[in-house]
Amino acid sequence: MAKRNLPHEGSELDMTPMIDVVFQLMIFFIVTIKMDADVNKDITLEEGKHGPIIKPSEDSRMLVVELDKRGSISIHNAHMDTGTFRQIMRARVARLGQNFTVLVRGDKRARHKDIRKVMDICSSVGIWKIQFAAIQEYASKDKK
Amino acid sequence: MGKRERNKGENVKLEMTPMIDVVFQLLIFFVVTLKQEDILSHLDVSRPAPDPNAKPEEQIKDLLQIEVYERGFVMKGRRVGLPELDRQLTRLAGYSKNVSVIIKCTPDSPHANLVQLLDVCAKAGLKNLSVFSL
Repeated sequence: MAKRNLPHEGSELDMTPMIDVVFQLMIFFIVTIKMDADVNKDITLEEGKHGPIIKPSEDSRMLVVELDKRGSISIHNAHMDTGTFRQIMRARVARLGQNFTVLVRGDKRARHKDIRKVMDICSSVGIWKIQFAAIQEYASKDKK
Repeated sequence: MGKRERNKGENVKLEMTPMIDVVFQLLIFFVVTLKQEDILSHLDVSRPAPDPNAKPEEQIKDLLQIEVYERGFVMKGRRVGLPELDRQLTRLAGYSKNVSVIIKCTPDSPHANLVQLLDVCAKAGLKNLSVFSL
């Protein structure tokens, strides 16, 4: 008699792993979607094994400017023209002063004249120090 | 009585399943996310003042000029490859780390060349780098 009750209990308890899986998948997608929105995946950086490593938590005021191979400027994956970029830089300097870091994630196939546009706008608002991002170590070795 | 005891025993056994699920899911999560991230480095440069009155070149004594072209680098009027630049800069940095390196880039040179050069400078330990655009 008692044994016949087993299937009922088993079917009720089957929900737990399903809910777990659903929660885990939800957490997975929330976290990965946030990462996708932040960086432009089309940009291929050049190798630079000898520079200091970038720690994302180190400087919260760091501004990452991205430049793809066609010379299009973007911040957090939002593309813009040079006029808009200049306005953003002016507003940021007015708010934070001139001592924040600008990191340029330039595609290795980008031409210097496009990199120059970014640097010129930075120096026109008084920021003389610019950092270029490079890959210190590939996540997987076959990606070269 | 018999029912209660059996229930307790079954519950304890079945609680392992969600835990194993969670562990597997976390494992999959970390494997997938760890693969995506490359470790990035930053290479610092300074941009010279745009007004011609400043003339930083005349004030600094230890000065090295390297030009970046579409297909290579020119130092002291001579075409050089990356390995030679590496040797020369390392030797130079052995005397003094305060040497100012002025990097001049042509408009059509790919960004990769500039980054390669900056990397070689970082390897040699040179910190005083400024980038001009031709």
